[in-house]
Amino acid sequence: MDSVEALVAHIQGLSGSPAEVAQLHSLLKQSEDTLRSQAARLAPFLPQLDPSAHTLGYLFLLEAYSSEPNLREQADIFVSIVVEFINSCSTEQIRLAPEKFISVCKSFKDQVMQLQVPMQGIAPLRMALRKIQTSSEQLTPLHPDYLTLCLLAKCYKAGLSVLNDDIFEVDQPRDLFLYCYYGGMINIGLKRFVKALECLHNVVTAPMTALNETAVEAYKKYILVSLILNGQVPSFPKYTSAAAHRNLKSYTQPYVDLANCYATGTFSEFEACIQTHLEKFQSDSNLGLVKQVLSSLYKRNIQRLTQTYLTLSLQDIANAVQLKTPKEAEMHVLRMIQDGEIFATINQKDGMVSFHEDPEQYKTCHMIEHIDSSIQRLMALSKKLSSLDEHISCDPAYLAKVSSPTTESTERKWSMEELSLWLVFSVIFYDSCFLNCVSFYLSSQFK
Amino acid sequence: MDLSPIQSALSSKSYSTLADTCDELMLQVASRGIAYQEEWPFDVHLLGHVFANDLNSARYLWKSIPQGIKESRPELVASWKIGQCLWTRDYAGVFDAIRGFEWSPEVVDLVTAFSENYTKKMFQLLNSAYSTISVGDVAHFLGMTEDNATNYALQQGWTLDSSSKMLTVKKPKMVAEQKLDPSKLQRLTEYVFHLEH
Repeated sequence: MDSVEALVAHIQGLSGSPAEVAQLHSLLKQSEDTLRSQAARLAPFLPQLDPSAHTLGYLFLLEAYSSEPNLREQADIFVSIVVEFINSCSTEQIRLAPEKFISVCKSFKDQVMQLQVPMQGIAPLRMALRKIQTSSEQLTPLHPDYLTLCLLAKCYKAGLSVLNDDIFEVDQPRDLFLYCYYGGMINIGLKRFVKALECLHNVVTAPMTALNETAVEAYKKYILVSLILNGQVPSFPKYTSAAAHRNLKSYTQPYVDLANCYATGTFSEFEACIQTHLEKFQSDSNLGLVKQVLSSLYKRNIQRLTQTYLTLSLQDIANAVQLKTPKEAEMHVLRMIQDGEIFATINQKDGMVSFHEDPEQYKTCHMIEHIDSSIQRLMALSKKLSSLDEHISCDPAYLAKVSSPTTESTERKWSMEELSLWLVFSVIFYDSCFLNCVSFYLSSQFK
Repeated sequence: MDLSPIQSALSSKSYSTLADTCDELMLQVASRGIAYQEEWPFDVHLLGHVFANDLNSARYLWKSIPQGIKESRPELVASWKIGQCLWTRDYAGVFDAIRGFEWSPEVVDLVTAFSENYTKKMFQLLNSAYSTISVGDVAHFLGMTEDNATNYALQQGWTLDSSSKMLTVKKPKMVAEQKLDPSKLQRLTEYVFHLEH
């Protein structure tokens, strides 16, 4: 292919039937070098094409154009062209060259960030992600980019529309690490700590052959969120990779120290521990989260009291959790009642608080519905798990790999199927928590 | 810039979906590279989050607003003041923030609706958190005078001990629907059957 003009003519002529588009695709592939060498003068050709009808050709031109070294100078023009393209491109045609589409979107993200207008990229990247996805269970390389923009633009809620999908298909483990890490950050920002813990737990326990930076940062946040939510940091589950198991703690020592201090429950020690590592927490941008851990210590100590006492005076509570006045203790208790963290009634006349059991009896219609849908979901997931397991067990490549005595388990590369299996497993792991609570309650009733 | 979805959400009083409408429209407008910030109804947007009790989103929105815009719009600052009091659980401060500003006709209904909702929610909280509580505190939490607060509480069935100025809370009967649909029971039986075989 000698000239861009001729190529544009071909694109215009060959964008009708699937057969034509296939022919065009091979033409375009042959012209890649020409396009790249002409990258600087491609922009004027784009208006001659219709992004919805000539999607594939448009995409090849746009991708070559995005590789242009002086793109920065025309960043705002490039950005508006890409937005228009993403909105109107044909889904079938972009899926013929997904790597080109992703490359354009990545340049788009870079330019939006360089222009410091992250919000401008959110809606287009969400659209791009949905168009290139073959199912909502598939993780694309655009997922982490989308979440990055949401974080930068402080549009945390926009991140949820993507984070609410269950992901079971992953091409690149790196995408998964970043996606879960950023997902953790978004959920932390929205104080959805249960969900945040799920995301971070995924990063920490994901299959990895060598420890990576993302896992280390995720583990730091995992420790802090665990303390806020549960008051303790669980040990690594059995399926955690050896690389993470061996090294994570030594890379996150200040955080491990903090967790140890938390367990003693005294403020002075905990505050001293924060002071010791203050610079580290600051440079990791985790100081805000560390402060939330500190304030959760009041809660934790009050919650401990509810396990021991049926009634307690506000003065005793203030003494026990190191608050200055009974009124302050009252406000803490009120706040916890408001957030559903304890069940209690305050009697101002006597200055007493009575603690109650969780009144949930799992028998309202609404709750039964919830249990029902949760069981159905787990049944579907477990079916998925067995079918994946069966599939992998018959895969000769997998069998050869596990039976090979030369490769140690730590050095094995994980296949896409194994990653899927692990993802389904970890969703089941978290989803079953609720049903465990129900069954715990029911069994306590039958005793 | 077409702000009609926000206008119609306001005029139809769809306050609970107002924040979502604003969020989505802002992303769409921003994606087209329009310099929207000068004209954007940040006060409505912020109040929308406050109404939906989504204080995190309210906080992030506030942080993302350029300083110049914050300084030039007193109503925006007043809206954030409500959010701030909610964030720090300055219960009485919420009412002061509502009363302390002359709201524009555009948002006055929204603020009133929020205020009514908030009073109801606070009363429910007091109902579940206290067995006895002083008249002074009820007035403080509900942002009313002591007389009004006492009348409000008495209307809800609480009783007053005038010598100690203490109100005794009357817990409402739980009225959650507990009747079980037979088909649900059938399904649960099937699950157990499924698990045992």
